[in-house]
Amino acid sequence: MNDDTDTTISDGPPPFDNEPKAAPSDDTMIAAIDDGPTPEPVGHVDLAAIDAVTQADPALFENENTKPPFSRQVMTTPLHFYVASESLTNLWCHWNGYTVAQCLTSIEDEYAALRQSAALSDISPLVKYRISGPDALPWLRRFVTGNLETLLVDAIIPVVFCEDRGFVVGDGMLFRLGDNEFRLITEETYLAWLLDSTIGYQVHIEDVSTTLAAMSLQGPLSCTILAEAGLSGIENLRPYSAHWFDVAGMPVYVSRSGSSGDLGYELWLDPDDAPSLWLRLLAKGKPFGVKPGGFTLREIARVEAGIPRAGVDYLGVFSAIDPQSVLTPYELGFSALVDLEGAHFTGRDALRAAKAGAPRHILATLAVDWYQPLRFTAIRDASSIVGVVTSSVFSPMLGINLAMATLNPSAIVSGTDLHVEAEMRAELSLQIVKVPARIIAGSALLLPARHLVPAPLGMRP
Amino acid sequence: MTQPDHIYDVIVVGAGHNGLIAAAYLGKAGRRVLLLEASTHLGGALTTAEVSPDYRASTAAHLLEALPRRIEKDLKLARHGLRYAVRRVQTIALDHDLNHIMLSTRRADIDILRRHSAADAEAYAAYAARMKAYAALLGPMLHGQLPSDDAQSVARRLRRLVWRGERMGPERLEALMRQLPGSIGDWLDNTFETPLLKGALALDAMLGNAVGPYEAGTALTSIGRQSLRGLSGGPHMVEGGLGGFIDALAAAAASFGVVIKAATGVKKILVDHGKVYGVTTHHDETYEAPIILSSAHPRETILNLVGAKHFDAGLVKQVNDIVDTGVTAKLNLSLDGLPTIQGLAPHGYNARFLIAPSLAGLDDAFTAFKHGNFASDIPMEVTIPSVADAPLVPHGQHVMSIVMQYVPYSAEGGWEQHRDRLVDRAIETFSQYAPDLRTRIVAGELMLPPDIERKFGLANGGWYHGDMRMDQMFAFRPTPALARYATPVEGLYLCGAGSHPGGGICGLPGEYAAHAALIRGGRGR
Repeated sequence: MNDDTDTTISDGPPPFDNEPKAAPSDDTMIAAIDDGPTPEPVGHVDLAAIDAVTQADPALFENENTKPPFSRQVMTTPLHFYVASESLTNLWCHWNGYTVAQCLTSIEDEYAALRQSAALSDISPLVKYRISGPDALPWLRRFVTGNLETLLVDAIIPVVFCEDRGFVVGDGMLFRLGDNEFRLITEETYLAWLLDSTIGYQVHIEDVSTTLAAMSLQGPLSCTILAEAGLSGIENLRPYSAHWFDVAGMPVYVSRSGSSGDLGYELWLDPDDAPSLWLRLLAKGKPFGVKPGGFTLREIARVEAGIPRAGVDYLGVFSAIDPQSVLTPYELGFSALVDLEGAHFTGRDALRAAKAGAPRHILATLAVDWYQPLRFTAIRDASSIVGVVTSSVFSPMLGINLAMATLNPSAIVSGTDLHVEAEMRAELSLQIVKVPARIIAGSALLLPARHLVPAPLGMRP
Repeated sequence: MTQPDHIYDVIVVGAGHNGLIAAAYLGKAGRRVLLLEASTHLGGALTTAEVSPDYRASTAAHLLEALPRRIEKDLKLARHGLRYAVRRVQTIALDHDLNHIMLSTRRADIDILRRHSAADAEAYAAYAARMKAYAALLGPMLHGQLPSDDAQSVARRLRRLVWRGERMGPERLEALMRQLPGSIGDWLDNTFETPLLKGALALDAMLGNAVGPYEAGTALTSIGRQSLRGLSGGPHMVEGGLGGFIDALAAAAASFGVVIKAATGVKKILVDHGKVYGVTTHHDETYEAPIILSSAHPRETILNLVGAKHFDAGLVKQVNDIVDTGVTAKLNLSLDGLPTIQGLAPHGYNARFLIAPSLAGLDDAFTAFKHGNFASDIPMEVTIPSVADAPLVPHGQHVMSIVMQYVPYSAEGGWEQHRDRLVDRAIETFSQYAPDLRTRIVAGELMLPPDIERKFGLANGGWYHGDMRMDQMFAFRPTPALARYATPVEGLYLCGAGSHPGGGICGLPGEYAAHAALIRGGRGR
């Protein structure tokens, strides 16, 4: 088997089992974006010929809405046309209802830029909530499982939030923008739960996803490129903190955060300013080798960094149908985000019991030692299936397959003889390989630069 | 530093009848109990006050119909002054044609019913027996202790229910299964033909509930009311009005060592590390106790007294979503003599009168209510307590106590412009049976749902701390997580009508909560 025959690697995405469907053809893309009128349908039934409806108002039969019923409007991010102009592949996918680039040039190029220079991605589809009001902090204390006592203004912490039974609703990043103002960034929408839980608090919650653009610059040279783009002092920004910068007259809120396991920044700004910042970063970063990246690149990086994604690697308790498929923060590997000793939060009593009991599942990252991308969904031990893969990628840097899987706790104990079975096709020959898999403690790839303060500044080439 | 006399074993918040009963049971069990009440009088909506100078009547609720004899005996209420002016108050459906129907199975009363319809006279005894059998079957579920929270106890309880159901006979059981989820209106239509009889029975079943006679679930509501009456032997009229009942309860509680402080409203229930430890009052005094029972509305207790921050968000949402609907107004009239109810025998004046000429009329009144209006003929329950309890009023004078059903919480354009019309409609409605009523009126007071809310802290003027409907009963009352009186905050219990088995002046939430606190709270110091 060689690269040319495997359609899932070279220019296609790695084999996520939940990957959005193949990109639509040119025609459907245009039809989806173009909101213009469609021609009047021809061949109407002659109303006058139908006796029973002679009294009917013809206006009832006018074809007013040209959109098919229940069709979802295709949304585009503020950066859509600028991202599109970088695309050599015309591969697109959906993320939270937005059309985003799956891959812009080639995944090898983008990955190389991410790990050697920097990759710039449009992350505007992330869900952003603004939380404000006099009770914002007390409300958040009860809402998230973690301890917020050390969350200063301009600091960021990862948070997870549960419902009464201690099952995870979702997770996200919490920014403190001011004394009584916060921003919660999540993968999925939780507005109903957020609003339901405000009873008894003076707090205002607003979905600001569409009024806030975001892009992510990740990679060892990301700090250098930002400095080059005019963000002076950016190297002193500490991990998990944020600061306002003025970039060519544009106010940009920059946080040292991201899901690549490496040095990286996320930039939050007005949607109107977003295109100019995007162009500026690409231009200033060009000598350093910056590349725009697509959604697939983000997926590879986050699996390498061991970050589970809501809705993919675990289901929020309000999206799951089977009660067996919801997880507690402990089962999800978020135990560091739970503080049972501090103030009361939703699900605390249940989590006390859950912590004492045995986990029903464990979410873990596994390394599957094979030099090529593989397709598999079952993690097996000697006798049976002990886990289900929810995300799998091929890590070019490590040269192995990585999988996020939900495992039976027994798999952790037995531990040693886990394997996957993958089918590999080369033309008409089919090979079934049994590849050993091992559980990785923590993340597969974490690079030291993510911690360094000041952040390393590279030389202009 | 808290003064030693500010430290108790248990603090009970709110001295309504449930608070008093809970406090009395805890005192009886040897606990040092402090009972705090915000108002200057005890009893909440159970109170006797002056309608006008020297004319006294039960201000809001006016009959005691569901207090179990067990509670009466346990707390020795008779010894502490509980006297009944009338035991087993008769119920009379007033008729335009003067053939008033007495709702009872006595032969003489059945004979009167025969004047309306021979068939109904035949059917009535069977209906009453069937209702009684249903009430006996479902009673343990409707007002007994909930089974403990494990699958085995629940299964055992259900098995017993099925076994008892089967003993009723397959035909009755089948009829029950068919009727239970349905409406009382359909049931009555299928049983009787006299409009007055059907109207009166339906009103009797629904008084205080914001449902119409043809709404699904009202059959269960009426069986529930019947089974509650079975506990006490029927509605009773208390000497001195319902304030007399409260005085007896307070005396009983005091005899068990309960310290009662009126005019001492609780501002906050104090919680530390998930445990209650005391309360602060509006006078900024602090009282300490490791166990606190609140008889306030669950929403008031959870959201205001304790605070949402001590509870899970889902629980708070459920408590916040409890539905309270005010559906009644109360009109008390001072009269300078006994109005003449035409066609009524002299000994019939100490009865309760129901005015509901037909199911259709009742349904119309309910429709008007749904649209924020009131009907021209107002369904009502009327008593003249001074007939049997003369000391309430000056010699020869009387008070009339009228509960009007299907009066909405808010009227279009505000109640101010509709008040007088409502009073006029009510007097006019009763005057159809007692034409001289209007000439006898000396004074009166009207309590609309907003007045009931303001005066007694009953949300929207609803009687029950959460409407008594199927989705707010049993283990759903007030919410599944709070159904067994204990709350996630250690030491905090709910003991008001918002808990199982609910409102209706049965005192059972208070009794059961006290038991729950005694079992979980262990022994006193």
